[in-house]
Amino acid sequence: MKGFFTIAILIIALISCHLAASWSLPQKLIGFYINPLPVLIMVAAFRCPISTIGALAIFCSFTQDAISSAPVGTSILPLYALGLIVHVNNKNITLARTKSRFTLGAASGAFVSILSLLVLLVAGHEPLIGWFSIWQLLSEILASGFLGLVFFPLAEWIDKSVEEQPLVAPYDTSTRIIRSPHIHG
Amino acid sequence: MNNRPYFITTAIVLLTAVICFRLPPTTATYIKQFFNTIHAPLYSIQKTAKAGGDYLSSQTVSRQTLLKENKDLKNQNNILELQLSRLPSLSRENRELREQLKMRPRIGWNPRLSHIIGRDPSNWWRSIMIDLGSKEGIKLDMPVVAKTGLIGRVEEVFQSRSRVALLGNPNCRISATVTSTGENGILISSGETVFDPTLVKLTHLPGASHVRPGDKIYSSGLGDIFPRDIFIGKILAVDSSPGSLTTKATVKLSTNTSKLHNVWVLMP
Repeated sequence: MKGFFTIAILIIALISCHLAASWSLPQKLIGFYINPLPVLIMVAAFRCPISTIGALAIFCSFTQDAISSAPVGTSILPLYALGLIVHVNNKNITLARTKSRFTLGAASGAFVSILSLLVLLVAGHEPLIGWFSIWQLLSEILASGFLGLVFFPLAEWIDKSVEEQPLVAPYDTSTRIIRSPHIHG
Repeated sequence: MNNRPYFITTAIVLLTAVICFRLPPTTATYIKQFFNTIHAPLYSIQKTAKAGGDYLSSQTVSRQTLLKENKDLKNQNNILELQLSRLPSLSRENRELREQLKMRPRIGWNPRLSHIIGRDPSNWWRSIMIDLGSKEGIKLDMPVVAKTGLIGRVEEVFQSRSRVALLGNPNCRISATVTSTGENGILISSGETVFDPTLVKLTHLPGASHVRPGDKIYSSGLGDIFPRDIFIGKILAVDSSPGSLTTKATVKLSTNTSKLHNVWVLMP
């Protein structure tokens, strides 16, 4: 289990949730809040085991709901579903290109936003929705795409920096030379 | 591939989500309180950074500006003192008249200034976080006002912070009176609130309502949460359909909360 990497993702989730709530400039400029959690869960899903993804989904959801009017645990299921889908298919997804990182970020934003809204409606809550919510959703998809461009390289850097590096042996230990006395006399 | 960890984790997450949906409000508040404490160090950093920024900006204000501001404030203070000197006699007169009419004495409110330290990070709700909590005597459902009018009520109370549900939040519905006609309605959020947070709907007005655009709206005092006669906003448009039992109206709220930095909590 990547303990340090998980803790780093948790700290980034906490700080980005707090920034989204306390820094109102993006809201004043574009008219909505950007949710950083979908991209963070997606980043973690590429590098962490499924148990860590589950724990991250629960913790991130609780952390965000603690500073929001949203009912507790609203986004647990959407975040975990996203993490599960990405984790199961991570060998089929490439992260090498900027375009794919942007697309993945955008898709995560759309997936979690729509699923969170559905969860709220199914649970009998009345979220604030109107025609302008379509603009909010489209813009959030775009913003999540850009967050993908930031968070994927950041996660790569953190993973390389904080996790234990494999010990490099001074010679190749995989090949052993066995000399037979019968051949060489 | 070993599927066991997937099944176990999915079961735990599903169970947690189902428990969260079924939680009683008090338990949900405890969970929110616990996770809110995790944000405490970040709030402290934010407060320190703001104080530092304020100090730096105060150092750059010129002496001339400060002198002019001081002069203006002195003038304003003189006018307010003059107005205040008339208040005791008016208050005494009001009390005597209420006693003669055998009316219940009005509850006095003690406004307490607080700073906005955060806004709702979700697009589905409208609320703000203020820097007063249960330690300062804040309780659930206390009315919150700005200098231009009513803005909401206290929705959740933590130890040193509180969450205020703003007018236009689906969780904040209040009874309001149109002063020109005396008709009461209920102020709720609408689809327009998402686009413009100062637009809400006034519903449950009588079918043959005489409400017109431009009419002023005040809190009705019904429901015992909000005191009477706090300004809320003005009627922008009236949607009356013939044969309908009720009339709806679009209301423009007096306060744009996205531009506010300070609010007052009305404490009894």
